[in-house]
Amino acid sequence: MKYKHHRARMALSRALSLPFSTTSTTTQPPQSAPFHLKHVTKSNFASALADLRRLVRSADFVAIDLEMTGVTSAPWRDSFEFDRSDVRYLKVKDSAEKFAVIQFGVCPFSWDPSNHCFLSHPHNFYVFPRQELPVDGPSYEFLCQTTSIDFLARYQFDFNACIHEGISYLSRGQEDDALRRLDMAYEDELSYTWCSSKEVKDKSLNRMADVLFTERIKIRFSEWCDGLLRDRSGGFPLQWTSDNAKQQFKTIFFKMRPALNLTGFTSHQLRLIKLVINKHFKDLTYIRVNSENNCSQVLVVYTETKDDRDFIMKEVKDEHLRGEENKIKAAIGFRHVIDLLSSEKKLIVGHNCFLDIAHVYSKFLGPLPLTTEEFVSSVNKYFPHIIDTKILLNTNFLLQQRMRKPRTSLSAAFASLCPQIALSSKSTGLALQQCVQVEVQVDDLRSSNWNSGAKHEAGYDAFMTGCIFAQACSHLGIDFKLHLPSENLAHNEKLHKYINRLYLSWTNGDIIDFSTGNKITEPLGTMNFKKLYPKIMFENIILIWGFPSKLKAREIRECISKVFGPTSVTSVYHLDETAVFVQFSKAGFVSDFLVLKETLETSDSLIFVLHPLAKLLEGGNTCAATYEIYKEICSSPISKVLFADQAEAVGIKSKTEVVETKVAVQSQEQGNFSKENEVNNVPKSAEKSKQGTVHNVKEVILSGHYKITDSLYTAEGNQI
Amino acid sequence: MYLDIEFKRESRRAMAALPYLLQRRFLCTKTHQKWSVKQVTKSNFQETLSEIKIDIADSDFIAVSLQRTGSVSAPWHRVLPFDLPDTAYSKAKRAAERFQLLQFAVCPFSIRSSKLLAHPYNFHLFPRDELKIGMPSYSFSCQTSYLTSMAREGFDFNTCIYDGISYLSRAQESAARVQIRNPMRITHVVKSSPNPTVADSVFIERIKLRVKHWRKSCKDLSTKSDEVLVRSLRKIVLGSEEYGSRPCMNIDVCSERQVQLVLEMLGEFSDDLVPLIIPAKGGATQEVRVVLTSSKEDMVLFQNELQDLEEEWNKKVRGFREVIDLISASQRPVVSHNSLNDFTFIHSKFLAPLPPNVDEFLSSLRSVFPHVIDVQQLMKEILPLRNVTNIPTAISYLKDHFFAPIDVEILQQDAVNERKIHGHDVLRISLLFAKLCSVLRIAPIQTDSKKLVPALEEYANILNPCSASSQESTDGEVRIGTNNTRKVSCKHLVFLWGFKHGMTAGMLKSLIQGSHDIFSEEFDLRLVDRSCAIVVFWKPGLSETFLNVMNSEEISGSLRELVSEGLRAACYGIYKKVCSLGIWEVDLAESLEKALEESECFQNTDSEANSLDVHWFSDSTVNLDDL
Repeated sequence: MKYKHHRARMALSRALSLPFSTTSTTTQPPQSAPFHLKHVTKSNFASALADLRRLVRSADFVAIDLEMTGVTSAPWRDSFEFDRSDVRYLKVKDSAEKFAVIQFGVCPFSWDPSNHCFLSHPHNFYVFPRQELPVDGPSYEFLCQTTSIDFLARYQFDFNACIHEGISYLSRGQEDDALRRLDMAYEDELSYTWCSSKEVKDKSLNRMADVLFTERIKIRFSEWCDGLLRDRSGGFPLQWTSDNAKQQFKTIFFKMRPALNLTGFTSHQLRLIKLVINKHFKDLTYIRVNSENNCSQVLVVYTETKDDRDFIMKEVKDEHLRGEENKIKAAIGFRHVIDLLSSEKKLIVGHNCFLDIAHVYSKFLGPLPLTTEEFVSSVNKYFPHIIDTKILLNTNFLLQQRMRKPRTSLSAAFASLCPQIALSSKSTGLALQQCVQVEVQVDDLRSSNWNSGAKHEAGYDAFMTGCIFAQACSHLGIDFKLHLPSENLAHNEKLHKYINRLYLSWTNGDIIDFSTGNKITEPLGTMNFKKLYPKIMFENIILIWGFPSKLKAREIRECISKVFGPTSVTSVYHLDETAVFVQFSKAGFVSDFLVLKETLETSDSLIFVLHPLAKLLEGGNTCAATYEIYKEICSSPISKVLFADQAEAVGIKSKTEVVETKVAVQSQEQGNFSKENEVNNVPKSAEKSKQGTVHNVKEVILSGHYKITDSLYTAEGNQI
Repeated sequence: MYLDIEFKRESRRAMAALPYLLQRRFLCTKTHQKWSVKQVTKSNFQETLSEIKIDIADSDFIAVSLQRTGSVSAPWHRVLPFDLPDTAYSKAKRAAERFQLLQFAVCPFSIRSSKLLAHPYNFHLFPRDELKIGMPSYSFSCQTSYLTSMAREGFDFNTCIYDGISYLSRAQESAARVQIRNPMRITHVVKSSPNPTVADSVFIERIKLRVKHWRKSCKDLSTKSDEVLVRSLRKIVLGSEEYGSRPCMNIDVCSERQVQLVLEMLGEFSDDLVPLIIPAKGGATQEVRVVLTSSKEDMVLFQNELQDLEEEWNKKVRGFREVIDLISASQRPVVSHNSLNDFTFIHSKFLAPLPPNVDEFLSSLRSVFPHVIDVQQLMKEILPLRNVTNIPTAISYLKDHFFAPIDVEILQQDAVNERKIHGHDVLRISLLFAKLCSVLRIAPIQTDSKKLVPALEEYANILNPCSASSQESTDGEVRIGTNNTRKVSCKHLVFLWGFKHGMTAGMLKSLIQGSHDIFSEEFDLRLVDRSCAIVVFWKPGLSETFLNVMNSEEISGSLRELVSEGLRAACYGIYKKVCSLGIWEVDLAESLEKALEESECFQNTDSEANSLDVHWFSDSTVNLDDL
């Protein structure tokens, strides 16, 4: 979900509608009646998928868009200028792992040479992560961001359709897991049957009723076997004495072999029967099969030889395995669409789609890798050609000029690049521009000026994205009329500069190339973000949290400048109300600050109170750490709303690690006992030479304090 | 509306075996079409609020029932029979903090002889951020299986999300006040210490002079008609502003002490000044705004205006919490089913964030809801109902085995043709409570509405579904119950994990039985989840011996083999640690392993835990293997 703010234009009701039943195939009515894009749910998924296969195969490119239940799991997980690219990836990863995709828009575009226009087929899939397979693992859970849900509600998102009717899915990873579990169960079956039968045996000996029952069963089965033999030698089939028995034991044929169908027994009785058969009858086999109507049936099959018996056992087991495998295959659901896009190697078009791709990966491939590099190379194998229209619009000078407004949000870009579609009217003065015509086909309905206006519906957003791309290509000089159907758009050299380049972070303009894995530092086009902000030196950054809530960024800067000099602090940036980034002018200040902070907190109170940093450390909950610790906190699966709470929650779980890796990470959150630990452990773990410098710094700073106690402000200059 | 006859017919069938479940369900639905519950959304919330206020005042009890977005993420996260109050609380706390409420059904009811007079309401909730301040809830979790089963029952998610009522908890409301910085009215001034310091006197004299000067000029101004420019200049000079149509001035203060002084001074100074407090960001007072009224009548008028404004703001901010506040203010006993889960949710969503330990939680809750009655506590008196958790089943059982006819009379003005069938559980809880009272010969009619009848007192305020009374968990004796529910001290319990995946309790038991001499004594074993089992040693001291053996060098025989294969064991203290630290892994084994790693850092074993008792259900109705 991208927040593209604009007026809500709800042209049509967005209630889930049944597919239109049309008798005439209208090609181009002058003012065609508005129709919905294709909504796909559980009920029409199979047929829609079959159609989509054909459409994707013949498409020149496929535009996609996703609607999610949220974007950030905590305010501080939002995208900041102070995000290093690895941290940015961790934030995207967190988002993709926690939130669910509830709508998936797929819109194949293909060039229609006879009408000189693109033909698009917008599809809107309702997706819901329903747990279709009985898994003994964790229950499926997803997070909802209240504002995102409310935002979707404002655009009349149909949550009922999604939860009641949404298509479920299995990722490749989940499918593999399920199959592996199945195999394991298949292999283990023999050993288990042995164990459980032994168990029953032990128990059954105690009950008189069971002993009598087993005896009776034994007689019944031997009678039946004898009957079969007699039957073969020309005798009469066995007659059961009572009606009840006739019902409970019904002679049938199973795979050309005589068998008894057992009904009306309790599970305990069935266990006893199984026991008797395994123990006393070499030529009988107890099996459980699934009949056509999905009911499980218990059979006792007569086999003449041991080989035959093994054969039938194996056959039943294989059948069972196939049944289970089919269930797993059926649960793949919406992933078939993703597999289709991947196997066809089509050009995928998205708008600011890094997060979308991450969602696709985590939902339909498997767990997201730990690093950007692994992620990028893995995605590239799966989707070799991705183009991001946001990159295209922001980095191409020509397109910048075309768009009168520099805004590149999806709907703004759509309105300024494709006015003929956005306004649903035939171009008047715009005819001179090379407008790419886009026609829409939904089932049998086709229209040249279709516009459902249903923004923030994934299918429509995908349609808009595709239109923007088609128009942008035309502006870049790609002439679709000359474009041969065999030619792959993805290899067009005019697009070469843009292909597989995505915004890792829109906020600070970081671009990543999916085909090489390189981060592009120098901006491609006119938009120069780096000029807007001073270059960020991550090793110069210290993270401070848990300080008194009334402190503002300015006061924190003053506080620190008093100690480290007026030019020591480059910038102070609020992460949220509980935490700030302080960027120093040089990296050395970071460790100096940490050492000083620790010294102040362990030294006697008089110095502490009068020190300029006292204001910052007031309350005793102030913590500080380097940027690396920030990364570690970001990588945690926990998401507390306030950063200070988050750090505490993460800190508790990895306190030893933090202490070992960082000389002076705050010990406040670690409780009293570990404080002792820390003081004792740090010098031991630190190298000897390092230890020396640490002490030196301490002395210098401490000597400074005594001056401060005399005259707080004059001492300031010779601090460091 | 009299339903008893239909109910009886229905329940006879319902007691039959599983295939009849469908049929029963059909009958239930049919019956409940007559039970109309008022559905409340944003649009009819304000009118309903005044209705429910009257209903609460007229009733003896209030039943509540909640619809959540999820409950437990893994089997062992639910409250289990061997949980102590604090571990049970940790589990309920996690769920309450993670998940969201979508519906809150409230039913004020009274019991008159054999008649249940009920006023059921079902409120649809959604934590919409109405004030744009990131409250009440930044995000919440949903459990897919929960939503799917709600959908199967015909739950309308759109109604909830589009038209659900929002709310703020009490704690969030005070935070919102600070964030939005609304001026606050002062209801009463507390006299401060009588000995002001020199600084105080200087401060107060200075302020007095300023106010005097300003008031005089305001009075003058109202008679004179200056030019616009002159007037605005004067405003700047005097620091005078306007609050609505009335002149006002702001006095900056540095401390709460100064606020006190200013308020006192203003009270003595003149009777046409109304002080307002402007809160600062940290929650303290930033300034005192003094508003000048023109006459005594105008002052009353202004006070009323302020009150209206405040009520308007309260409505906007509190939303559904008004209902919670009404229930709390009425001091009526609140009847619920599974009260620990319900009240951890209520506390965290409508009162304040949940405190870290169970005692703080209980005392905080008691200050708001003095009497909480869990119908499950009453059900424990009837042996076959001890382990029944399903409300309709319990009602059916009572119908068939006891003569306790209760007529349900629903007193709802607009109870016609409600198409939705949500919120019936709250009626069932009321009915179950009425029946249980009748069966147990408890006369629930109260003479004094503030107090609970003594017969109910012993069932009140027990939130842990596993403990039989609030005191019991702290005494040290081991009791063997009548229905095979044995009490056992936690120190006899050992958690065991690292066995082969897919083992049943029986397999595991027979496996370890022959592994060591210790197991020749009587012991019991249950699976907690697929990864972990719990063992109870009935002979004292054996659990310690076993744990020592597991950690010793002399370990031999097949136990040694099992340990080499990965078998691990831990005492109950480690389990307590898992819950208190909130290590909620999917498998309990994983959590215990992590807690063990943590505890290796500081070797302080929780000795306190060892003296506590838990219940050990050895009868077959509680089958942990099914988990």
